[in-house]
Amino acid sequence: MKNIFATFIAECMKLRGSRIFWITILIFLFIPFMMGLLFFVQKHPEISAKLGMIGTKATMLRLGKADWSAYLEFLIQGMAGIGLLGFGFVTSWVFGREYSDRTLKDILALPVSRSFIVLSKFIVIVIWCILLILVFFTCGLIFGKIIGIPGWSNEIIFQYAQTYIVTSFLTLLLCTPVAFFASYGRGYLLPMGFVILTLLMANFTGLVGLGPYFPWAIPGIYSAPAGTEGMQLFIGSYIILAFTSVLGFAGTIAWWRFADQH
Amino acid sequence: MDDIIKTENLSKHYGDVNAVSNMSLNVRKGEIYGFLGLNGAGKTTTIRMLLGMIRPTSGIAFINGKRVYADNIELWKNVGSLVEIPYSYPNLTVRENLDITRRLRFIPDKSLIDKVIDKLQLGSYSNRKAKNLSLGNAQRLGLAKALIHNPDILILDEPTNGLDPAGIYEIREMLSDLAINHGVTIFISSHILGEISRFATRIGIIHEGKLIQEVDTNKLDKLCRKRLLVNAKNTKEALSILIQNGYTVSKTTNDIIEIKDEDTIRNPDTIATIMVNAGCPPTLLQVEEEDLESYFLRTIGMNGGVK
Repeated sequence: MKNIFATFIAECMKLRGSRIFWITILIFLFIPFMMGLLFFVQKHPEISAKLGMIGTKATMLRLGKADWSAYLEFLIQGMAGIGLLGFGFVTSWVFGREYSDRTLKDILALPVSRSFIVLSKFIVIVIWCILLILVFFTCGLIFGKIIGIPGWSNEIIFQYAQTYIVTSFLTLLLCTPVAFFASYGRGYLLPMGFVILTLLMANFTGLVGLGPYFPWAIPGIYSAPAGTEGMQLFIGSYIILAFTSVLGFAGTIAWWRFADQH
Repeated sequence: MDDIIKTENLSKHYGDVNAVSNMSLNVRKGEIYGFLGLNGAGKTTTIRMLLGMIRPTSGIAFINGKRVYADNIELWKNVGSLVEIPYSYPNLTVRENLDITRRLRFIPDKSLIDKVIDKLQLGSYSNRKAKNLSLGNAQRLGLAKALIHNPDILILDEPTNGLDPAGIYEIREMLSDLAINHGVTIFISSHILGEISRFATRIGIIHEGKLIQEVDTNKLDKLCRKRLLVNAKNTKEALSILIQNGYTVSKTTNDIIEIKDEDTIRNPDTIATIMVNAGCPPTLLQVEEEDLESYFLRTIGMNGGVK
């Protein structure tokens, strides 16, 4: 226990004085605001024409009925994409900074196992991302209230909150391979490239109907409204996602323990 | 068990490149072992293998008789290290950076942070962010991280890089004190023989990944070549007088007479007497000792830095 406690506190201390944490919080505040704005514009087609690009975009989205169900579906799908990018960024930073700040060599020859350092980094990432998840959803709800979306009911909110939490959790599980690539690539470039590639591939596999087999497309498919054509997951999809996550975690630990650290 | 640091045929190869080849060395308790080599000679690779950061292609390293490998974390309790240019978390202060090291070393005593800050004269910078430190102070912070737990063994890679002459002197004195008065074993790498010879007790010279010589520092001056330089108003005449008297002489590029015979170097007055009696008194009679850098370059097979 003293290992994990020491490494976890040390990891938390490393966040101190870092602007990145607050920047991610701001971004996860801003995105639901923008999504709320789009929804508001779509709900009021009379102002859509006056808003140029935003108006056009909102019209193009065809968000369905302008009620809470449609709005929450929109938010959840937003999380599936933004989460992949945001959680990937957080993971790249937490692992990649040790390489780009060149501090890694100072934490290798210490009386604490490297596995605990990696584990603590993942714990910090999970806590950080849970905060982002909460910020995103809470802000989404607040903006939804502000713009006066009709049809609020606790049952609907609770039902969609569950879907939102599962979607976010599935997305969060996919941060482990990013940690591996940050360690393997010794910095930010490779993991961020990997995140962008997975995002593109998730869209592509979704389009050609292979989404349920591609781990990074699975949270997006899960977030899609029930009955959407080509968007059905099966048990194997969850196994593929879990396996990818475990592989990323084990790969990162193995890299820290066994690879040459230059 | 006197060997605190020991390697047996330690090698690291990257494809066809032999970064370190069959390195066998041992460092005894309380010794300051200067590990000398040019940039790229294999010093840092050896140090990283000693610290379990790189796995040797073959061979074994031991610290305190225990085999070095990444998971042997008990080893590092009594080892302090500094590898290459020290970097710290840029947005954290000197004190916060040291606190991270303290926690990761499971040191409950927070006062050790203040002690090491005082020891390395970082007091006025303790609340300054690491990114705003000068190179010299960043180096001091790196050393502070290595020393915070009062280790018995120090493995330091060019620790005086970036320090001004006063800083170099201060660190040298501190390390000497640790070794002499506290029995700390120090393995320290450098590429400057003149500097390392001032406080190391033994020196190992590494070149192209191979340990080519180990020498006790107090015997170093005996290994440095000496020569007697002689000149007179008439150099030609002086040269012929010395040859007639059976001396083996040569001329330097500056047209000065050079004698390398050890007996003659020990008795330059004999030369003076001979030359005065022959009516050609010397205008220069000087015993010149090869400096340590020349000795180092000669040892690794380079002449004045040119192979």
